[in-house]
Amino acid sequence: MFHLVFASTLVESVGFGLVTASILAIAAVGFTLQFGVSNMLNLAYGDIMTAAAFGAYEVNKAGAPLWVSFIAGMATGAVTSVLLHRYIYRPFVRRGTQLVGLVIVALSAAVIIQNALLAGFGATFFTLKLPHTSTVHVAGATLTVLQLVIIGIAVAAMLAVDAMLRRTRLGKAMRATSGNPALARACGINTNRVVDTAWLIAGGLCGLAGVLLVLNTASFESTTGSDFLVITIAAAMLGGVGQAYGAMIGAVVLGVVTEVAAAYTRSSFKEVIAFAVLVIIVLIRPQGMFGQPVTALTMNKEVVN
Amino acid sequence: MSQAVVLYATTLLVYAGVDIMACWGLNLQFGVTGIYNFAFIIFQAAGAYTTGVLTLGPDTANGGFQHYIFGSTWPFPLPILMGGVVAGVLSLLIGLVTLRRLRSDYQAMVMLVLAVIATLVAENLATFVNGDSGLALIPQPLSNQITSVTGYQWWFVAFTAFACLVVYFFVRRITSAPLGRALRAVRDHEYAAAALGKNVASLRLFSFVAGGVIAGISGGILVSFITAWSPGSWLYVETLVLLTAVIVGGMGNNFGVMLGAMLVPVAFNEITRYLPQFGRPGLIDAFQWIVIGSLSMGFLWFRPQGIVPERRRKYKPPAELGVGATGAVGPGAGGPEPATVPDGRL
Repeated sequence: MFHLVFASTLVESVGFGLVTASILAIAAVGFTLQFGVSNMLNLAYGDIMTAAAFGAYEVNKAGAPLWVSFIAGMATGAVTSVLLHRYIYRPFVRRGTQLVGLVIVALSAAVIIQNALLAGFGATFFTLKLPHTSTVHVAGATLTVLQLVIIGIAVAAMLAVDAMLRRTRLGKAMRATSGNPALARACGINTNRVVDTAWLIAGGLCGLAGVLLVLNTASFESTTGSDFLVITIAAAMLGGVGQAYGAMIGAVVLGVVTEVAAAYTRSSFKEVIAFAVLVIIVLIRPQGMFGQPVTALTMNKEVVN
Repeated sequence: MSQAVVLYATTLLVYAGVDIMACWGLNLQFGVTGIYNFAFIIFQAAGAYTTGVLTLGPDTANGGFQHYIFGSTWPFPLPILMGGVVAGVLSLLIGLVTLRRLRSDYQAMVMLVLAVIATLVAENLATFVNGDSGLALIPQPLSNQITSVTGYQWWFVAFTAFACLVVYFFVRRITSAPLGRALRAVRDHEYAAAALGKNVASLRLFSFVAGGVIAGISGGILVSFITAWSPGSWLYVETLVLLTAVIVGGMGNNFGVMLGAMLVPVAFNEITRYLPQFGRPGLIDAFQWIVIGSLSMGFLWFRPQGIVPERRRKYKPPAELGVGATGAVGPGAGGPEPATVPDGRL
């Protein structure tokens, strides 16, 4: 009897884990794509997620169907991300601000966006209006249709990113810029445009992740995105920062581990366990599962603008 | 002066002292050595919790409404000193993990993640340091010896000032010595410092632990004064306030950092306290954070060297000092200064 209960809890929690992992994968892939191409640690990423959620919320409140809210969220994310890069990060990089300064600029930007949202919308919880969804039993786990949709969207997004990176000229240019920006420029790649596009795509993925996150958790506030940032960074680091496929696997590992851990311990411990996984990985393999080993050459990469 | 004014002024002075100490510690790590410590606030918190549990007594006291470990009643100033020790040990452990093999922006990420883990652990372990609600009713040191309320306040100001002086001489002893030169060399040109035979990893670790001890002591003093401490008071963004103070004042310059600590966390928070309440609740707080963020960005753009920039240190070439070009550098010197001189830009 005990084994049965144990097993069903495991299946249930793996199911929830896959939902969390789906959202996390979208967020972590966006984060790692942008970081890999530009080397700029964008600590405002989580707050762009919140901004996107508010964008979707406004459209949703106006009575638009759910898919329009998705597009509004993605657009908000993409636009915020590009504006942030164009008008804040890039001028600082061009002015010669070094890495320490840039990290502080990013943290300041994060605090400003979060508190601007707080000032604009107020310190309460918000909810997206949803059509009624039914539950489905899949392989012993009970999930709502909405959760299945989230997993489906994530799989589609990951396939799209994969196709983009592998099959398009833009994807090749991104990988080249990520590997060696000077060489990429010398080969005639317009790295400026590549970096701009990376911020745009990362912002879109970030917005999508933000909308899915607040759909899954049912309610959100101005700190929801920044709370999610840390686990996003953890997933990206687990896979090796800049490694899109690493981020996907890192997200699945973290998503499942946190939900399974939450099922057997207290649910409030799930983040602690996720971070413990990260700290262990950092100790054993600082470059992440799929990252390049840190050498003198890769130690201090310049920020590409 | 009326009693209210005295209470207000003395409280401000204690806050100023604590912030100045903390900023000196952070400056040692960040301004002088170039370590991105985005988890600085957790070392202050470690010191505060240690001091708290070592003065509160066993957790059956006060009707046992709080749960924490290691409760005992150590005599003043031991709990505060122990706060420094615990924060130092914690920074040694964290420094050993993060400072050695990680790229510098990875370090920033890991520090940020650690700061969040620390908050989550303190919030969720209800029996560790009383979880989410935190510690309260922490006895003030020697409060039974001094009966007058204002007298006690002034006594605490004097004690904080004394602690500031000790911390200042400690920090100054490091930054003006050859050791400080070696730390600045690590900041400005890590490989040049290593090529000159400096042990970069151990220099970084030294600066990290020294800053951690100072943070712990500042936390201990703060908690002895305000008598309560909870996870809400040390969220990771609080480190941004201290970083902003260091940048505004002038990183690498102890006097500038003191000025920054008085301007940003102290003066700024006090001015906004007197703004008339307007808008919805939380609106002023939100604006306060927006201004803090804009302040650090604005300084990084317009005046990255801060109000009082780090002194440019000039050294005469060895020939003018009467030492042969191939000869040894003066006695006790930590090695020649690397060729690059900081231009005050972050």
